[in-house]
Amino acid sequence: MSAHIVVGYTATDAGEDAVALGARLAMASGFALDIVVVLPADDRSVITPPDAGYDRYLQKQAETWLAAASEKIPDAVPHATHVRFAESFAEGLLTAAREFGASYIVVGAANGGLRGRHRLGTVASELLHSADVPVVLAPEGSRKVDPAIGISRLTAAVGTRPGTDALLDAATWLSTQTGAELRLLSLVSVDLPASVDTGVIRLAGAAHADDVLSRARESLSGVVDAEVVVARGESIEDAVQSLSWEPGELAIVGSSRLAQHRRLFLGSTAAKILHELPVPMVVVPRTTQTQEGETR
Amino acid sequence: MTAPESSAAPLASPTGEVAGGITKKGLSAGTVGLIGAVVIGISCIAPAYTFTAAIGPTASVVGAQIPAIILVGFIPMLLVAFGYRELNRRMPDSGTSFTWAARAFGPWVGWLAGWGLVAATILVLSNLAGVAVDFLFLLIAQITGNESIADLASVTWINIGVCLLFMLGATLVSYRDMQTTQKLQYFLVGFQVLVLVVFAGAAIIQAVNGNAFDYMPFDLAWFNPFAVGSFSAFAAGLSLSIFIFWGWDVTLTMNEETKDPEKTPGRAATITVITVVTLYLLLAVAMLMFAGVGSEGLGLGNEDIQENVFFHLSGPILGPLAFLVSLAVLTSSASSLQSTFVGPARTLLAMGHYGALPKSYAKISPRFFTPSNATIVSAVVASGFYVVMRIVSEDTLWDTILTLGMMICFYYGITAFACVWYFRRQWFDSTRNVFFTFLFPLVGGVILAVLFFTTLIDSMDPAYGSGSQIGGIGIVFILGMLIIGLGVVIMIWQAIKRPAFFRGETLSLDAPASARRGRQSVSK
Repeated sequence: MSAHIVVGYTATDAGEDAVALGARLAMASGFALDIVVVLPADDRSVITPPDAGYDRYLQKQAETWLAAASEKIPDAVPHATHVRFAESFAEGLLTAAREFGASYIVVGAANGGLRGRHRLGTVASELLHSADVPVVLAPEGSRKVDPAIGISRLTAAVGTRPGTDALLDAATWLSTQTGAELRLLSLVSVDLPASVDTGVIRLAGAAHADDVLSRARESLSGVVDAEVVVARGESIEDAVQSLSWEPGELAIVGSSRLAQHRRLFLGSTAAKILHELPVPMVVVPRTTQTQEGETR
Repeated sequence: MTAPESSAAPLASPTGEVAGGITKKGLSAGTVGLIGAVVIGISCIAPAYTFTAAIGPTASVVGAQIPAIILVGFIPMLLVAFGYRELNRRMPDSGTSFTWAARAFGPWVGWLAGWGLVAATILVLSNLAGVAVDFLFLLIAQITGNESIADLASVTWINIGVCLLFMLGATLVSYRDMQTTQKLQYFLVGFQVLVLVVFAGAAIIQAVNGNAFDYMPFDLAWFNPFAVGSFSAFAAGLSLSIFIFWGWDVTLTMNEETKDPEKTPGRAATITVITVVTLYLLLAVAMLMFAGVGSEGLGLGNEDIQENVFFHLSGPILGPLAFLVSLAVLTSSASSLQSTFVGPARTLLAMGHYGALPKSYAKISPRFFTPSNATIVSAVVASGFYVVMRIVSEDTLWDTILTLGMMICFYYGITAFACVWYFRRQWFDSTRNVFFTFLFPLVGGVILAVLFFTTLIDSMDPAYGSGSQIGGIGIVFILGMLIIGLGVVIMIWQAIKRPAFFRGETLSLDAPASARRGRQSVSK
């Protein structure tokens, strides 16, 4: 019994990005892909009259798009396609994810992002505010990455804030599923307000970071081996840029502590990372470990 | 936990099935409730907009018998709507009139019906935007207290510029399929109805208190259609009052989209039409009592105020509260612009899909799921039409309304006959069928055909409508003929370029067999 990955598809570059990344993830992990197109439901139109004939036309068109999309997926990846009607794209994806018991939802960055960079569109941000499963964001250009490249490494951005355990669990699980190396990245030393930007605090921060990482490493020992790095730089943007990223890498971050229980919410640190990140990013809800445990 | 669930759902199982993996489960059938349907119906009709645009021209042809014409005008609309409902139930298709007429009468008639629909909705789009421009300036004038601002609306280049901006906005909204929230839309429709009732009430009170411009005491003869002077006047009045009910049919044709397809559409249509007819009658009586039908000053017969009556009457009647009327008309036009855009866009889409027009018209935006190219083309044509008309004639709004009435008669008439002909083998299957697939649409179609030809002949008179003319022929006639003629030319051009549709290969002639005979042969 394998787990599922739901891919939110539109017949755009962003949609192709999502499908390609989904296929890559599925290939590395052996999960099944569910490619979903979400069409607007009638009850959202309060001005324009709904039209069953048009809905049917849309559905057919969506099926055509899906058929074209699934042709690009390697045969080795088990996949199915679905058309859903919902008030919003995010809502439709969440419903589908619940229905299939999906472990991940993959969406593309909105059109207009720089090549290889993320730009959070309305869909992705709505999803990040409400999802209860990890959301994978495919940066612009992911469609040009060969799925066969797999997932070579996983970088978890670890802090001391609540949710670190959930993040570590999710990262460990994903790395065992995909066979990817795990890299722990501490942003503690740079994850500070600009006003406290003094060398003393930085030093203290660095010490703290090493401490956190070694503890995280301890808790992982016996399960997986993890490389540890401490981000250095003037700012988070700086730190992320100075790190080396492999083509087959994934970044994994926890969601904001402001998020509701078991809901995602992209915190300011994660948002800054996202902006600079050249690789896909997985955002994990604050407390998924129990759920993840069951899903496994 | 997920394991049993996933294996129970075959579509989700990782077997790699692609084509068979498409599930019908999520089909959005049945989500619109009764109130939702009524709200959509009223905002499609947009009573505040239609009334201000249509009452002047109506008064000029039928005089004080406006209430009578409103009541009679509803009859052909109702009869044709029954036909619409039958066709929509049998062949729900976004091409509506185009598809149905092609199925019943073949590709050529179908093409022309689609053309008529697209032309009528494009006319109304340009008219809507024009009315919205007037009221935008009026609203600003009323709020700032600077009356000269309202006059800016009649400066040609300002008018055209602002109108094009409105069109651009409406196109963006339609293209991106942006919807307001349900609550806001309910509020806007409620606001519109309430303002109109207050407006009518205030007019009556002012009239009775002797503050009227030209007080006409209430007279039951206003409701007598036989008091209209001539048949020509009657026909012209009728085609105008068909325009004021236009859009109402959507409530009746929403079937499977509603929560309870058996009851919701009928009830929604009834509630909508009672609301709208009551409003219209109240407004008509109030305007008559206050302003009279004289051709001077604020009289409804005055050519200078006819094309936009509320624009001129709201100030004298409501005084400082007049801005409410402007606001109601503006919001009414705005939501109507959006719901009207859907009509030509979906029909053009269907025409592209069946190969009656280039395939690019069938393109759907992968991000917003709207007919992208068809929407843009409709907007460009409507804008172009408005610009040309505005430059050619000062009385654009009035003449487009008359042409519009004619075009509605044209494609509604074809649709009504399509219903009659399409169901020819099922007419006598049941008593219900006799009425709904034969008698009602036939009578409705005949009325519309008579109206169409009467208007066509009368409009040749240079004095018809606003009195604009080219070479001694009324501009309404020229417009109507140009539109239909252009349709024929484009049709022939498409027939040469895309013969498959015109040979009936994409959309074939059809007539469902009688269910009764079918049953008999089975039992034998």
